[in-house]
Amino acid sequence: MHDIMIALRDVSKWYGDFQVLRNIDLQIGKGQVVVVCGPSGSGKSTLCRTINRLESIDKGTIEIAGQPLPCEGKALRDLRANVGMVFQSFNLFSHLTIIENVTLAPRKLRRSSKEEAHRHALQLLESVGIASQADKYPAQLSGGQQQRAAIARALAMRPQVILFDEPTSALDPEMVGEVLEVMTRLAEEGMTMLVVTHEMGFARRVADRILFMDEGEIVEDRNPNDFFNDPATDRARAFLSRIL
Amino acid sequence: MKQNALFDSPGPRGLRLIRIATLIWVLCLLLIGAYVVWRLDARGQLAPQKWLPFVTNIKLLKFLGDGLLQTLSASLVALVLSLLAGVVLAMGRALGLAWLSLVIGAYVQVFRGIPVLLNMLFLFLGVPLVLHLNISAYTVVVIALLLYNSAVIAEIMRAGIAALPAGQRSASLALGFSEFQTLRHVLVPQAIRLMIPALISQFIIIIKDSALGFIVGFHEMTAKAQNAALQLGNPLQTYIVIGVVYVAINLAVARMSHWIAHRKTHAASGH
Repeated sequence: MHDIMIALRDVSKWYGDFQVLRNIDLQIGKGQVVVVCGPSGSGKSTLCRTINRLESIDKGTIEIAGQPLPCEGKALRDLRANVGMVFQSFNLFSHLTIIENVTLAPRKLRRSSKEEAHRHALQLLESVGIASQADKYPAQLSGGQQQRAAIARALAMRPQVILFDEPTSALDPEMVGEVLEVMTRLAEEGMTMLVVTHEMGFARRVADRILFMDEGEIVEDRNPNDFFNDPATDRARAFLSRIL
Repeated sequence: MKQNALFDSPGPRGLRLIRIATLIWVLCLLLIGAYVVWRLDARGQLAPQKWLPFVTNIKLLKFLGDGLLQTLSASLVALVLSLLAGVVLAMGRALGLAWLSLVIGAYVQVFRGIPVLLNMLFLFLGVPLVLHLNISAYTVVVIALLLYNSAVIAEIMRAGIAALPAGQRSASLALGFSEFQTLRHVLVPQAIRLMIPALISQFIIIIKDSALGFIVGFHEMTAKAQNAALQLGNPLQTYIVIGVVYVAINLAVARMSHWIAHRKTHAASGH
């Protein structure tokens, strides 16, 4: 199948004696939105971070768009530029304004002209609804605005996939909605997304598939309706009863 | 009264206690000051002819002024070079190459440990012997200051980089930046802002340490003051005057740097 965007085969990872990922097999098609949920410590974030090699793996293979994930050097950097990432704690560069945060990578890595990068950045900030904050510094924005800026920063590299690592977990409750709204629109536009989140409403509405992880393995991989209405395992049932 | 970060704001009894303690303390200081002035006067040290040259003797002022310029020039050159070298060393160490970290670590440990005065003597004696080169006193002072301060600034910058949230590096790598680009565009600019107070202190140390140059015949302010005092017979007064000048320069440096730091970080920290 040529339209597989992300493919993990038999991926395992250990921290010392502790196995965080157990024989993960996973394929994500182009344009799919996959939500990963599970109790804390189940390996969701680690899984997310192996896909652009912010975490290395000890066993197995990872392929992005049919190419094996490079281990180092320019090839790895090029791949990372193609895979956007959005973090729990936003991680905007605090010494740069919002617009500078969004233009930095395109200007330095894609050699975009200043005008072109600026124009594209403003367009992206407009689409996430914070164009008026372009010249402020991250600390002057609310959490929700910062996370939307971080999404714009990831989009500025025109990635083929975006990884979301608990994008709303650090937000005040009233700001969760504005970030999920942006993510929902991205999904509708056909972006391939892997989203680690506890937002089950979002999962139900937007996800094509739900992965339920526990103790480093994928316990269930199902469509949202089946997962929420009729979880197949006791572990998933117990998890859902705790968070819903 | 401004809220203090270190103490609870005092209650009524605390306030009374603080007022009484302050009063006693001020009285003590005044008494000590009066005693010093009285003794100096008794020994003829307050005589106008010992102090007036600093206002009226243009030649003396020009002589000391030349020394001041030498002090400022050597310090400023040493500061700029130390900053550049310190940042480069810190970046080299942060790249994560074992052999490079080892070499830089050894450099830092050695030159942070040698007194600047010894550096000056090594250069002054060693360079002509080993390289058959004549080296000016000015150059000796600048290089000696550079060797020590680049090592210290490298450590300051290393601490600054280590103090940044790990997410800054992750976010930069995730965008496709290399380790070097991450340091250059993301980590070092933030570390410098974070470390501005420590860097100001280091600049003040450089200015004061430049006075050690007298040992190799560098005619900066302290050396010139020593010469002038011998001629005019007023060493105590001369040293007091240049002491005041040192304090004034360093106050000005601190003020200026705080102003720059405030302007730069004001928006970034959202205060």
